Amino acid sequence: MANITGWTGSLLRVNLTTGNIKTEDTMKYKDLVGGAGFGYKIIFDEVPQGTKAFDEANKVVIAVGPLTGTTAPCSGRTNITSLSPTNPYHAIADSHMGGNFGAWLKFAGYDGIIIEGESTKPVWLKIEDDNISIEDASDLWGKGTIDTTYAINEIMGKEACIAAIGPAGEQMKNLASIVNSVNHSAGGHGGILGAKKLKAIGVKGTNAVHIAEGKAQDWLDLNEYMMKDIIGSNNNHVVPSTPQPWAEYHNSKSRWTAQLGLFWGAANPPVETGECAAGDKNKVGLRTQKAIFDLGPLAEDRTIKMGGCYSCPIRCQSNMYMPELEKYGLTPYATSTCINYSSPNTAMIKGYADGEKKGMDSLITKCLGSRLADDYGIWSNYGQLPRDFRYAYNSGKFKEVLPKEEYDSINWDLVESGDPGWMVEYYGNLIKGGEFGHLLDGPYWLDQRWNLGEEYWNSYGNNLWSKMAYPKHHSNESGAQVGALVNVIFNRDANSHTHMNMIGAGLPIEILKEVAGEVWGSPDALDAPMNYTPMNEYKAKFAKWSLDRNFLHDSITLCNWVWPMTVSPSKERNYRGDTALEAKFFSLATGIETSEEEMNLAAERISTMHRAACVKEMNTIDMRNEHDTIPEWVFEADPDVKPFTEGTVKLDRDDMQLGLTLLYREYGWDEKTGAPTRATLERLGLKDVADELEALNLLP
Amino acid sequence: MFEREIEDFIEKIRTRREFLKMSGKGIAGVTVATSVLNLMGCSQAEPSGNEESPEVEAFVIPTGLLVVEPNKCTGCQRCEMVCTVANDQKIHPLISRVKISRNFNYGKEMTENYRYENGYFGNFLMTPETCRQCEDAKCAEACPKNAISQNETTKAWTVDESLCVGCGACSDACPWNMPTVDPETGKSTKCILCGACADNCITGALQIIPWEKMEAIFRRKGYRFS
Ligand code: SF4
Ligand code: SF4
Ligand code: SF4
Repeated sequence: MANITGWTGSLLRVNLTTGNIKTEDTMKYKDLVGGAGFGYKIIFDEVPQGTKAFDEANKVVIAVGPLTGTTAPCSGRTNITSLSPTNPYHAIADSHMGGNFGAWLKFAGYDGIIIEGESTKPVWLKIEDDNISIEDASDLWGKGTIDTTYAINEIMGKEACIAAIGPAGEQMKNLASIVNSVNHSAGGHGGILGAKKLKAIGVKGTNAVHIAEGKAQDWLDLNEYMMKDIIGSNNNHVVPSTPQPWAEYHNSKSRWTAQLGLFWGAANPPVETGECAAGDKNKVGLRTQKAIFDLGPLAEDRTIKMGGCYSCPIRCQSNMYMPELEKYGLTPYATSTCINYSSPNTAMIKGYADGEKKGMDSLITKCLGSRLADDYGIWSNYGQLPRDFRYAYNSGKFKEVLPKEEYDSINWDLVESGDPGWMVEYYGNLIKGGEFGHLLDGPYWLDQRWNLGEEYWNSYGNNLWSKMAYPKHHSNESGAQVGALVNVIFNRDANSHTHMNMIGAGLPIEILKEVAGEVWGSPDALDAPMNYTPMNEYKAKFAKWSLDRNFLHDSITLCNWVWPMTVSPSKERNYRGDTALEAKFFSLATGIETSEEEMNLAAERISTMHRAACVKEMNTIDMRNEHDTIPEWVFEADPDVKPFTEGTVKLDRDDMQLGLTLLYREYGWDEKTGAPTRATLERLGLKDVADELEALNLLP
Repeated sequence: MFEREIEDFIEKIRTRREFLKMSGKGIAGVTVATSVLNLMGCSQAEPSGNEESPEVEAFVIPTGLLVVEPNKCTGCQRCEMVCTVANDQKIHPLISRVKISRNFNYGKEMTENYRYENGYFGNFLMTPETCRQCEDAKCAEACPKNAISQNETTKAWTVDESLCVGCGACSDACPWNMPTVDPETGKSTKCILCGACADNCITGALQIIPWEKMEAIFRRKGYRFS
C-alpha cells in the first residue's frame, strides 16, 4: 500500500505534573478519524470514571483531522475534547475553534496534543517542529488573550499561532474559552487549562501537509468542482437574500447577502460585493456580507472586510472599523461572528439609550462586548450567559444573593440607562472574583448555588434545553422532532448545523422534500415549517445523519456551519448537492479510497464513542431518562393549540418518546435505555469499549 | 484628471510591455490610480475625503496585468495552499510562492503599536506578496549555481531544481524574500507565473487581467492601446 497521508502520524503527549513530553503513533486511533473522535476515545480510555473537570486526572485532547491544513474548503477547525465543567456529571464535551491553530499544529508535525497532569506554576507550551518545551508563564498570568499572544509572538516570531486562555480560564471559570488569532474561540474548556496552569500553546512548524501521492491534479479538480458547483454561503444558504438576475429563487433569511450597491464600506477603497452569481468561484468570498446580518444596516459603512478561518472561502466573521471603541480604551477595530456579537446585545436587558435595537448604541455594544469576551476568554454558553444575567436581574436574585457591598459597587445605572459602557462593567464584574462572577458557573451549578426555580428551567424564552445545563441550538423549531432529537444527545449546546443547513438553505420546500427523499429514503423526513407531522423512521434517519455528520466534521475537520453539502446553488444540478464530498476529500487526502458509506460508518463510530463515554461518565445506562430529556416548554408552547396543527412547533410527549426509540433503533442502541449494546459496539470495531463498559456493569 | 491618469497608465504599461516583448525581461510593479482600477472593474469607488490613496500593486507580466488589491484580501490563505498543491503536491505557506501567512498576524514588522498597524491583530489588513519578476532579478544574480534563469516561454524567473543546492542566497538577495528553500526537498521555490493563486482567489484580490481583455476595455472607452 502506498504511504498513508492526511495524518502526520504523531500525537504529542505532554504531562504537566512530571514535565514529560513524548510522541506516540496516531494511527492506532485512525478509525476514529481525528479531532473529536480521537478526543472521545482517549478520554474514555484514560480518564478514570468519577473524575471531575478540574481534577488533575482529567485530560485535554486538542486534535485535528486528515483534512485540516489542506485546501478542503472550510477545513480550518481545531477540536478540543475534555470533561465539561458545566455538565452536572462532568460528562464529556468537545469545543471548537477556527483560526490558524489547527493547520499550524499539522505543520509542526502533530495530529493532536494530549495534555495531562497539572503544573504547580503558570506555564506555556512551545511547539516548533520537534523542539517542544514547557516555558515559564508567570509574566503572562493575568494578561488577556491578545497581550499573551503578542508576548509569545515576540519569542516565537510573528507567524507563530498562539492559543491562550484569559483571566476567566485562569480563575477556573466553567464558562471560559480558549482563543487563537484574536477571535477564534472554543468555549467550555478554558478553565481546565487554568486548573492545569497552562496559559497558552504556541505553535509553528516547517512540515508540509501531504495529500495522496500523484493526486494533486485530482485534488485541484475536486476543489474547483466544489467551489463552482456545490458550495453556497454561510450555513449553506444556496440562494441569494434578494432577487438577482441570475437566480431562480431568493429568500430574505439567506446569508448570501451579496448584491449590487452593498459594500464593505470601510475598506479602502470600499469593496462592492456586487452580484456573486452561482458558479463564480472568484466571488465566493464576497457572497456573505455578514456584518449587516449580525449587526444591522449601520454596519455596512463600518465593514473593513469579512474574515474567517484558515482555508475557508465563506468568511463569516465581520472585521469592523469602530472608532467609538477608543472611548473604552480599546482600538478602533473589532471582529467576531454570530453569537459573540449577539450575546452582548442580549445583556442589554433594558434596551439602548438611543432606543434603537439596530442603532449605533447597539453596534457599539456588540463590538465592545465581543472584544472584551475574547480578551477575557469568556464563553457565553451559546448566548445563555446573558439570559442567566437577565433572569437573575429581573427576578431580583442579585439583590438576594449578592453581598450588599458587592451589589452596591456595581454600576447598574449603565444597564438601566442602556449605555454600551455596561459591557465594561458587566464583563469586568464577571471576572472580578465576587458572587456576580458565579454567572460563569453555567446554569446547573448556578441553580445549585442561587436556587433559581422551575420557571428558570421551563420557560420557553429562557431557551434552556435540559439539566445538562445547555441551551437549545436549532431544536424543535428546526425540523420539529429532528431538531429535538439532535439537541438531546450532547452535554453542551448541540452546535449541529447539519439539519439546519439543509432546512434553512432557502430553496422552496418542494425541492427540499425531494432532496430529503433522495438522502433519507422518503420526503416525509422533512415537513414544511410550522406544519409538522408525527414521528416516522425517516425523521429518525435524518436526525441520525445530522448527528453523524456533525461528529464527523468535528473529527475530520470541517466546519459544520457550512458543511455538509446536501444542496447546492446550481440550477443545472437541479440544486442537488453532493453528500459524498467528505469521502472524496478524505480519499485524496489520505490515499485510502473511501466510499460515502464507509465514511458514514466512521461517523457513526464517533457518535457511538461519544455515547459510550457519556454512559461511563454518568455511570448509568438509562440515557433515556437520565440524559435524553426534553424540556417542558417543547410540549407546553401554544396552550390552546394541539400538536401537529399548522402554525405551531409544539411537540407531543408520546410522539417524542417514539422519536427516541426510533433514533436508538437507527443507531442499534438499546431501545429501552438508549445505551450502546455490545453487538453495536463490536459492529463498529469498538470491542475494547464494550469490554470496559461490561467491566463497569454498564452494558444494557 | 482621470483621463490623464489613464493615459499615463497606458503609456507606462505599453512601453514596459514593448520592453518585455523585445528583451524578454520581466518588469517591476506599476502604481495604479483608482480611476484606472474603476475602468478595469477592480475597485468600484473612490477613497473618501482625505484618506490615503489605496495601496494597489500591479505587475506587468507576459500574460497580462497581475493586480493585487489588499482591500479585497480576506486572509483565507487559499492562494498559498493552491500554489503549493499545484507546484509541490503538498501544502505549506512557507514554500508558497505567493505570501500571505507571514503577514497574517502582524504587518511586515511587529511593533509595540501592533494593535493599530497592519495584520489581524491590528487593522485586519494583510497584503498578498507576489514575485515581481524583476528586470534585474537579484535572486538570479545571487545564485552561486546559476540555477535561476528566465523561462523562454513564460518569461518567469525559474529555479532549475537539478542545479539548486538550497543555499538560500536567492531568498537573502531578493528585496522581498520571495524565494524559499523547501525544508523537505532542500530546493528553492519561487513563482513561475502559473497563475493558480489568482485563479483561485475567492474575492478577486489577486487577479490576472489578460492583455486582450485590457485592450478591449481601453478601446471601448476610447483610449488608444497598442
Ligand atoms: S486567496 Fe485571495 S482573499 Fe484569500 S488570502 Fe489569497 S489573496 Fe487573500
Ligand atoms: S524572487 Fe525576488 S528578486 Fe527574484 S524576481 Fe522575484 S521579486 Fe525579483
Ligand atoms: S503564479 Fe503560480 S507559482 Fe506564482 S505564486 Fe501564483 S500559484 Fe504560485
